[in-house]
Amino acid sequence: MPRVRIKNPQDFGAAAMFVLIGLAGFFLGGDLEFGTASKMGPRYFPGILSLLIVALGLGLGASSLAVKGPRIEPVQLRPVAVVIGVVLLFGYLLDIVGLALSTMILTLVAAFARREVRIVESLLLGAGLAIFVVVLFVYALSQPLPAWWGAP
Amino acid sequence: MELDVFNNLATGFAAAATLQNLGYALLGALLGTLIGVLPGIGPIPTIAMLLPITFGLSPLGALIMLAGIYYGAQYGGSTTSILANMPGEASTIVTCIDGHQMARQGRAGAALGVAALGSFFAGCVGTVFIAAFGPPLAVLAQEFNSPDYFSLMVLGLVTAVVLAHGSVAKAIGMVLVGILLGLVGLDTNSSLPRYTFGISAIWDGIDFLPVVIGMFGIVEIIRNLESRDLHRVPVGARLRDLWPSMKDFRDSWPAVLRGTGLGSLLGILPGGGAVLAAFASYTLEKKVARDPSRFGKGAIEGVAGPESANNAAAQTSFIPLLTLGLPSNAIMALMMGAMIIQGIEPGSAVMTKRPELFWGVVASMWIGNAMLLVINLPLIGIWVRLLSVPYRLLYPAILLFSIIGVYSTNTNVAQLVITAVFALFGYVLLRVGCEPAPLVLGFILGPLMEENLRRALVMSRGDPSIFVERPISATLLGLTVALVALIVLPQIRKTREKAFQE
Repeated sequence: MPRVRIKNPQDFGAAAMFVLIGLAGFFLGGDLEFGTASKMGPRYFPGILSLLIVALGLGLGASSLAVKGPRIEPVQLRPVAVVIGVVLLFGYLLDIVGLALSTMILTLVAAFARREVRIVESLLLGAGLAIFVVVLFVYALSQPLPAWWGAP
Repeated sequence: MELDVFNNLATGFAAAATLQNLGYALLGALLGTLIGVLPGIGPIPTIAMLLPITFGLSPLGALIMLAGIYYGAQYGGSTTSILANMPGEASTIVTCIDGHQMARQGRAGAALGVAALGSFFAGCVGTVFIAAFGPPLAVLAQEFNSPDYFSLMVLGLVTAVVLAHGSVAKAIGMVLVGILLGLVGLDTNSSLPRYTFGISAIWDGIDFLPVVIGMFGIVEIIRNLESRDLHRVPVGARLRDLWPSMKDFRDSWPAVLRGTGLGSLLGILPGGGAVLAAFASYTLEKKVARDPSRFGKGAIEGVAGPESANNAAAQTSFIPLLTLGLPSNAIMALMMGAMIIQGIEPGSAVMTKRPELFWGVVASMWIGNAMLLVINLPLIGIWVRLLSVPYRLLYPAILLFSIIGVYSTNTNVAQLVITAVFALFGYVLLRVGCEPAPLVLGFILGPLMEENLRRALVMSRGDPSIFVERPISATLLGLTVALVALIVLPQIRKTREKAFQE
């Protein structure tokens, strides 16, 4: 029996993603009304769109078994996790400790996205950035950002 | 008619050229260049990051500043391409080819100078172009009805697909996913929530900024951190070399003219814009050159042509936005977002109801370009020094500004969660080789497409033949079919792949 082999891993991955997104789009809108062409319901357009995405994913998946293509580069967990984590951490901290301290913490944590961490340099950079953003955004541009903890 | 053009421009300059607005234009161009020159940041994240600064300004002031930021970001990107061979985005990839070679031969100054002067000239022509063709197109736009709008958007999206790098199938998928994401939120017709999962932050739809910052800004940082190739030392540029020589002028002015003409035309196309213009111009220059083998080895025409073309196109791509209310590329989608935040609904009504705003924006484009020339020629030394700052010091700052940019649009922590989600999504896209730009265009056009499709089908009582019966719509769909035929034909497809590989 001939074994099915994925010849184009990138396209295969993209195809899987499209199929998943399309299925999600189709079934998550399940309780909405579909309607007809002359009286389109809320599900009409996204429903058709989702099916198109699934069909495209299936087509791409089929071609990825037939035509050779590039492999998927390995994921480097460190930068991905640290950078995205920092975005969430900043959002969590901002209302609690204010812009200045959040900035310092962001700079320090973000440094761990690279292998060589220079703590002193990061602290200095963090302090500099904290002063800069507080002056620029809070005082000069009067953006609604709390500079310190407990600020309204 | 000709008199009109100049009368209109005069109205615009009167509105735009106040001391305050000139200050905004200068500040915008300065900040845009400052951020745009940082390696790996193209105009899209630059504009997204700086957008919140303009919120407190008057509508005209905000748009003037944004125009400054846009041109600044683009010029900053060219500087980085020439000196460090690091394109921030697609439209400056071409500049890298010969621009960086020139820099290595010690002619960085000439390359930067020609880029600045060519861009300025193209910007001037582009401004007159908008002033001349904007009003007639706005008149035509009044003939547009729902089916025509829908067909125009189809044409725009198909063009965007054709221009995306790599696989056509993946680009179509990206457009469709973008449209789907654009539909999240309350359905305008039934007022029922779609795909909101009870999350109040996306009740009114997913905001544009977290999507763009996540998929472009944050992913770009991760990508740079992943690659080991971070220590590219920029080639120094000496200030006194900045002025191109007489020979450089002689060699480059025909390229500037051709690039400007090509760029002005290609910028108007839906789905077109700076990227297409830059690539087309480079190809053209190579074709008309007496000795094409010089290209890739530091031919000044290879800098002058594309740099002029991308700036001309950057100007004229405002035409579909300002007359039809349709953004033709991701940057115009950002501009549209900014206008809506300012309470301006882009479209032909802007020109008739608020002429001072429309012409003010047109005039501000010229002002923005002039500002660039004023600040870039003397400040080039500073940008060069900025380029030599190591990336390990830059990325925390870039990350910080991106986050603050997202947060301050509506001071909601949920926006940062959405940013993180889209950053992760963008990273997956990077791994499976999908380009996010078509997704952004689909995201913006999605709700408009649904609305116009719905209205068109209500008009025709569900009969889809309305799209081919109306002449405007039929013409647009005919163009779309022709375009699809072009990419399906294998011969042309091969050339397209070749053009993007260069």
